[in-house]
Amino acid sequence: MTTHPAVPARAARVPPRRAARLRVSAVARRHAYVLRRSPHRMFDVTVWPIVDTVLFGSLGVFFARQGGPSGAAQAGVAYLLSGIVLWHVVYQAQIAVSTGFMEETWSRNLLGLMVTPLKELELLAGIAVFGLVKLLMGVGVVALAALGLYAFDVTALGLGLLPVFAVLLLSGWAIALVVVGLILRYGNGAEALAWGIMFVVMPLGGVFYPVEALPVALRPLSELLPTTHAFAAGRALVDGGGMPWGELGLAAAGTLAIAAAALAFLAWMLRLFRRRGYVTRYS
Amino acid sequence: MSDVLRARGLVKAYRRGRAVDGVDLTVRLGERVALLGPNGAGKTTTLLMCLGVVEPDAGTVEIAGHRLPRGRSAAMARVGFAAGYLPLPERLRVREYLRMFGQLYGLADPDGQAQKGLERFGIGRLAQAMGTELSSGQKTLIGVVKATMHDPELLVLDEPTASLDPDVAWRVRTGLADLCEERGTAMLVTSHNMVEVERIAERVVFLSDGRVVADGPPAEVAARFGRDDLEEVFLHLAAGRQAPEHVEGARP
Repeated sequence: MTTHPAVPARAARVPPRRAARLRVSAVARRHAYVLRRSPHRMFDVTVWPIVDTVLFGSLGVFFARQGGPSGAAQAGVAYLLSGIVLWHVVYQAQIAVSTGFMEETWSRNLLGLMVTPLKELELLAGIAVFGLVKLLMGVGVVALAALGLYAFDVTALGLGLLPVFAVLLLSGWAIALVVVGLILRYGNGAEALAWGIMFVVMPLGGVFYPVEALPVALRPLSELLPTTHAFAAGRALVDGGGMPWGELGLAAAGTLAIAAAALAFLAWMLRLFRRRGYVTRYS
Repeated sequence: MSDVLRARGLVKAYRRGRAVDGVDLTVRLGERVALLGPNGAGKTTTLLMCLGVVEPDAGTVEIAGHRLPRGRSAAMARVGFAAGYLPLPERLRVREYLRMFGQLYGLADPDGQAQKGLERFGIGRLAQAMGTELSSGQKTLIGVVKATMHDPELLVLDEPTASLDPDVAWRVRTGLADLCEERGTAMLVTSHNMVEVERIAERVVFLSDGRVVADGPPAEVAARFGRDDLEEVFLHLAAGRQAPEHVEGARP
């Protein structure tokens, strides 16, 4: 029998089930450091929310004054302010995930991450988990600005806001998956889409007005977007009626459908990314 | 001795042609192998396919018994990768960077392993430094610490000492050699520094135009090409001359 020299014990590892959670939290923490050390990244969660609140709040106030003290004119202000608060749920959710992914490309960290046990969905989950913190900051700033500057209290809309909030959050993440897929395919040239795509969704997604306010040709497209139905549910809450479960159901079903399509698109782009060796763009 | 890396029939074509054309590559447990060849020979593409980052058009890769791409995550837990061209994210301290990778590798004590790794390479004082404060040599050393802190079975190094001064390059080589000796870690390394390769590797695999043209111990490969050393073999291949034949050297 041969004797082998003693090999020092290998580094201890956590159990596999905990390892996945640890990987997600490692990514989330890494992005927390990035935000803390990049003051300009706070722009998205502080300055833009205030700018949007002032812009749409003041528009609402101006038109309300033109329309006199009628209930309809006053409701317009509330539509605009509740719309901008809820819009920031979609916006912050989307921007946090897509810019979080872009951070890995800007810092050329993608190859380093790809040669670890980290799975693609764990990377996105880690970014999204920290993105929730940014989302709460951004939406909190809009809500506080609306309260402080226009005496509009979004919490007065009640618990019905929560399912609307959840649908919009998932919609934002689904849009982000599409943006990440496009960046994988087309490189950093596609990163302008992270912001640009939101300017397409905003007018078509029923943020401030119902589908009927759009030109006839655009209405079918707007109907297809789940955000249109979620924002309609939000406006129903502003009107003081009960939760329009039909609209919310449409919004939830549509969101699940686009989330599934976005995941499939991302998986396709990821296959192309590996097949064509695009990782060398980032190393 | 069992294989820690087994790649068979790897093929990868890009628009300009075949970058890798039927490469077989095996690294056994504890073995130190250098993958060599002139620029454009297909070394990095081969490495990236072996790491599951680039999908081969044909062929298979197995790491520590895990077949890629399905077993990629489990396989990568056994692999460490460092490259001279991989940067350190700028907005992290060294300690934070190493902790993150330690957690990605599932280490129970990532901070402890990071500190051990830093001390192994004589850079314990850098733990609190920001990525932006490091020289390129220090960044390379940190990259090597990251690649080794989880005690991988296979260490893959792409040009690890490129652009390093001789002193730092020596520390990297010595640290890695000690680690491999102590832990039985296998190593697959690419380098353009043939003197370094002769010091590190017990087997060399030469690629030219995406194919393996020689595989064996350094001295034996040089002899089969009728050259005195690997530098001359490299220059011979880089000059575009054909290798006399596919040379299969005796394996250790």
